[in-house]
Amino acid sequence: MSDRAPGIGGDLPVTSNPSRWNSDVMQRRVARRYASERRFRRIGLFAVALSAGFLAFLLLSMVINGARGFTQTEIKLTVNFPSIAAGVTPAALSAKGGDEALSGLDLEGLAASEATAAYGENGAALLSDGAWLTLRDAIKSDPTLITRKGEMWVPASVEIDAAAKGRGDTANTRLVAQLKTNGQIKTGLNKTFFTSSDSTDPTVVGIWGAFKGTLLTMLVTALLAFPVGTLAALYLEEYAPRNRWTDLIEVSINNLAAVPSIIFGLLGLAVFLNFFHMPRSAPIVGGLTLALMTMPVIVIASRNAIKAVPPSIRDGALAMGASPVQVVFHHVLPLAMPGILTGTIIGMARALGETAPLIMIGMRAFISSPPTSFTEPATVLPVQIFLWSDEVSSGFVEKTSAAIIVLLVFLMTMNATAIYLRNHFERRW
Amino acid sequence: MASHKMSARDVNVFYGEKQAIRNVSIDVDKENVTAFIGPSGCGKSTFLRTLNRMNDTVVGCRTEGRIELDGEDIYASEMDVVLLRARVGMVFQKPNPFPKSIYENIAYGPRIHGLAENKSAMDHVVETSLHRAGLWNEVKDRLQESGTALSGGQQQRLCIARAIAVDPEVILMDEPCSALDPIATAKIEELITELRGRFAIVIVTHNMQQAARVSQRTAFFHLGELVEYGATADIFTNPTQTRTQDYITGRYG
Ligand SMILES: Nc1ncnc2c1ncn2[C@@H]1O[C@H](COP(=O)(O)OP(=O)(O)OP(=O)(O)O)[C@@H](O)[C@H]1O
Ligand SMILES: [Mg+2]
Repeated sequence: MSDRAPGIGGDLPVTSNPSRWNSDVMQRRVARRYASERRFRRIGLFAVALSAGFLAFLLLSMVINGARGFTQTEIKLTVNFPSIAAGVTPAALSAKGGDEALSGLDLEGLAASEATAAYGENGAALLSDGAWLTLRDAIKSDPTLITRKGEMWVPASVEIDAAAKGRGDTANTRLVAQLKTNGQIKTGLNKTFFTSSDSTDPTVVGIWGAFKGTLLTMLVTALLAFPVGTLAALYLEEYAPRNRWTDLIEVSINNLAAVPSIIFGLLGLAVFLNFFHMPRSAPIVGGLTLALMTMPVIVIASRNAIKAVPPSIRDGALAMGASPVQVVFHHVLPLAMPGILTGTIIGMARALGETAPLIMIGMRAFISSPPTSFTEPATVLPVQIFLWSDEVSSGFVEKTSAAIIVLLVFLMTMNATAIYLRNHFERRW
Repeated sequence: MASHKMSARDVNVFYGEKQAIRNVSIDVDKENVTAFIGPSGCGKSTFLRTLNRMNDTVVGCRTEGRIELDGEDIYASEMDVVLLRARVGMVFQKPNPFPKSIYENIAYGPRIHGLAENKSAMDHVVETSLHRAGLWNEVKDRLQESGTALSGGQQQRLCIARAIAVDPEVILMDEPCSALDPIATAKIEELITELRGRFAIVIVTHNMQQAARVSQRTAFFHLGELVEYGATADIFTNPTQTRTQDYITGRYG
């Protein structure tokens, strides 16, 4: 120990010349500082522009490709229903067992023969393979049709559809032009796309089945992951004793958030299907699997949000005589809610785009009717996109893009809702 | 002779291994303002927080000894901490209004304790509390605005109003004026003087003049011990201990 009193500059040499702020060295240093600041700003701007450019490119190419998927070319067909009625009356069709009577009718043959009659030898090739479905649906909604001739618009085949949209070969393009002058062809909004489900024929496929499947699956995920994730985070932050077990749980949750999604699919397969024998391909199983995947993300985000609530607010409430539960639900949770919702948005958005775990639990099956409950076989939008992108028929290309647009719109709607809720909580003060 | 509202006997407080309070015994009067003074880190806040068991929320904090409120042991297992804190209110060094409206800040305590039957009773509680805290005239037209949008001094008075809205028996204040300007400080001191007699008040302060102005009893803490406790006038003019003498004359701090 030295005897010298410690103090400012006690051991430091005191410089006699003061800083000269006007010196050249100092000026150069200032100039360098400004230059580096400008450089950093330019790099940042470049990064933002680059990502915005990618996003714009993605959206533009999707919209250009996908827009065609929302339209469908139709061909005019005059159908003489009585020719195949064979004694089936409107009353029989609307009575019980009417569907059976309907399926007994050779509508497929009728569509083909009428097309041949109207458009010549190759007339049947103009129509989509699923054209007869339009006839069936028409009779279903109006059984009296069976007693008379009807004029209908039925979907055109893939080749004709492509030609009508300006991308067919010369023969079909000429044919379409000819039909157009006769007023026997039109391209309009494809309502079928929004009302029907998967099919082998691209002209009659629809997104509704997958959309509904996604809706049901996401509902299960949200209803499970949000409350369980939030409550787990609350417990860990507010009640759990600080010990090795809590640390272990914390590490496990952090690791779970990083586990590849397909592993969750395997887990869902092993636990929900093989052990609990839940129905295969069902939204409930998909929802549960995705909830497992989403929960860690929500827990981590929620814990951070809860940690960020100032302790002074907690102390203030406790000192008023609020019980711990009251402190949590009256003060901590409302203040943490924006952060919790941000975590939920991220987690749900990831779950919405997930295919791998859902394929593991059988949601990649070919499902041609929309699910009516949580336990019926269903598929989801990303899986549907994956399936369609795999199809050979060229008509599926535009449907794939259209489905991607639907998925993006779904994502944006979901996020907008969550952001609205978050702002609602934030706006309060 | 004033009657005792709270009394502490042989209180020791530990943060883990470290002892922050050593064998403190003290009585808090019902009708008087009691000031705790002492150098930074001597344990004033720690001791104050034992009086409403706020130290329970600190991980690793342990309290020994006996503290009574009207003769009841507040650390007894039958004591309900929630009710205790309703009876012994607290105002913190840093104003900490809830991020809710001014009205909600005041109404929160009465609501959770069921002190107001209906809306008009609640309105009444809010108004009288704000009146008593000397804030009513400044905020009466903007009760629905955020409590955090008030100035620091107003926020602190809001916190005092919030504390008295539940009609406690004791109010503990931990350096309530340390973040305030002289005018806001004067208002709060005035307020303490007005509240005296209604509530037993304990105030921690670093400001000797403040202790002299508002309190009747003063306790001097040093290194976790209660060095001297007596009438404020005696402590400031005629301390019996040299440590007290040195501190109030500013020889160390
Ligand atoms: N949460 C805590 N954990 C561990 N030690 C603590 C904690 N709070 C306070 N202490 C210690 O206890 C002692 C007393 O602290 P306390 O806050 O009571 O002092 P104080 O007299 O209020 O000081 P000040 O006037 O600066 O507010 C200090 O040595 C401090 O380091
Ligand atoms: Mg303190």
